[in-house]
Amino acid sequence: MLHLDREDWVKTSDGDSRGYIQPQRLDELWFHTGTNCNLRCPFCLEGSKPGDNRISFLTLEDVRPFITEALELGVKNFSFTGGEPFVNPDMVRILDLALTHRSCMVLSNATEPLMNRINEVLPLINKPNDLSFRVSLDFPNPEKHDEGRGKGNFRRSLNTLGRLHSFGFHVSIARLIANGEDVEAVNREYVPFFESAGLPADLRIVAFPDFFPPDSLPEIPQITENCMTSYLNAEQRDEMMCNFSKMIVKKNDRAGVYACTLVDDDHDYDLADTLKESMEVRVMLKHHRCYSCFAYGASCSEVS
Amino acid sequence: MDELCSVVSLEWRTSKVFELTVERNGVEFTPGDSFAIFAGDGNESRPYSVASGTDEPTLRFLIQQLPDGIVSNYLSELRPGDKIRLSEPFGWFHPGKNTSDEPLVFIATGTGIAPFLSYLRAYPDKGPVVCLYGVRYFEDALDLDFLKSSCDVRLVISREDGHIYHKGRVTDLLPSLDLLAGTHFYLCGLDAMIDDVSAWLEGTGGIDFSHIHREVFFHAPS
Ligand SMILES: Cc1cc2nc3c(=O)[nH]c(=O)nc-3n(C[C@H](O)[C@H](O)[C@H](O)COP(=O)(O)OP(=O)(O)OC[C@H]3O[C@@H](n4cnc5c(N)ncnc54)[C@H](O)[C@@H]3O)c2cc1C
Ligand code: SF4
Repeated sequence: MLHLDREDWVKTSDGDSRGYIQPQRLDELWFHTGTNCNLRCPFCLEGSKPGDNRISFLTLEDVRPFITEALELGVKNFSFTGGEPFVNPDMVRILDLALTHRSCMVLSNATEPLMNRINEVLPLINKPNDLSFRVSLDFPNPEKHDEGRGKGNFRRSLNTLGRLHSFGFHVSIARLIANGEDVEAVNREYVPFFESAGLPADLRIVAFPDFFPPDSLPEIPQITENCMTSYLNAEQRDEMMCNFSKMIVKKNDRAGVYACTLVDDDHDYDLADTLKESMEVRVMLKHHRCYSCFAYGASCSEVS
Repeated sequence: MDELCSVVSLEWRTSKVFELTVERNGVEFTPGDSFAIFAGDGNESRPYSVASGTDEPTLRFLIQQLPDGIVSNYLSELRPGDKIRLSEPFGWFHPGKNTSDEPLVFIATGTGIAPFLSYLRAYPDKGPVVCLYGVRYFEDALDLDFLKSSCDVRLVISREDGHIYHKGRVTDLLPSLDLLAGTHFYLCGLDAMIDDVSAWLEGTGGIDFSHIHREVFFHAPS
């Protein structure tokens, strides 16, 4: 990749060496199933909406070689994000293949695309590895959730979560963190909703900071090589997603390997055509979302 | 890849619903698929379910113009020859998919009839279909003659007297359905109808929810 020697990839705008992660292993491989989504949430960090094709649908044939390669590299699980993955026509077949080898996690809005394909999804419970769903319930407040995601969708997603749980699938929820909030107190506000849907009160909740929509350029401090050792210890560096995961993204008919789940709007993070090549590439912490990982330890990972 | 398609015609079918016909450019689709149609600057897109049959030379959509609706109003002013951007077809609501000879019941409100029209046009010889169709006024019933000729359509009118059809809501007709084993129910249109019908089918009707397929087009204003 041509950009890897470029000055602004390796240096900050002040001329300091950029902080980087030299990937150590591939525990988790993500697949971006495409930015086409049935919803059009204004805060969507992927900029997904109906018919969007910034990132196109991955097909079963796109996915197959990466699964083979990931298994050779010792991958522990596969994860899927979109858009809404169940808008992708190949999604169930892709899961069927991936679940033959490893457990899988799908981020879903758990609305019509998933519910209408439940007949195809249900048999996946019999695969040799577990399938889990992480469903977005942005706030413990149906009205507030529905402001972004459309009327009635809190109730629909909660209902779907309850059903998935009753079939024996693993489920968790993803939510947004507000500035300065008391994380535990907000998490507790979800409990009555969980109970009403037959879900366990201690359901896993993964909370995310605001990552800003694609192509936005918020002002963030630059991360230098020095920052990586002054502010982070070895364990914290080890836990950064780009140290142990990658994401497959298809743009303009080519599926490439990106550094992690959060940087697919920047071509510089398209590291290679194959996973093995990508493992050799240092990931420079240049993207504004790298700062969220650096400062808040944000991670979408299922394995860390 | 997305297509820029020429508008072939725009015809008002009721005072609020127009039929938009656009060039097909050879694209293949399955009845129930939607195309996202983009408004002028390309930032706003909405899905619209194709209403035409799979053998027709053009794509036809039935679109309800909403007060202040960004895309439906933009589309309502198109003229023949104008170019619009359409996504590839996509969808998760495919009437009759994964079923062989099981009975089908379609339940629609308003333009929610579109995917069922597409299905009935594409498969004129498939098994019998019952279709409950809810509209506010008689003039809102789209393609009623075609529906009468191709399925057992039961029209329900909510806001107008003086017709031979049932006055009320589609839910009123649910108890009159033959709930034959294996029947698949396809619900499309307004969210309130879909929620009420699903609740009745699963509760009183004892239908397994995996046989209830849903496509919400509209969320009624609070
Ligand atoms: C998969 C799918 C397929 C669809 N197919 C069709 C189709 O074939 N035909 C079709 O007409 N629509 C269809 N829709 C709906 C369509 O996508 C748009 O949502 C609709 O046209 C409104 O878009 P808009 O930009 O005009 O309105 P927006 O700018 O999005 O504004 C809609 C506003 O209108 C309000 N509103 C919603 N419903 C009503 C109502 N009944 N009366 C008054 N106000 C209301 C809402 O609260 C909202 O504020 C489909 C939706 C989905 C999800
Ligand atoms: S449902 Fe998720 S992917 Fe779809 S628009 Fe909303 S936030 Fe984005």
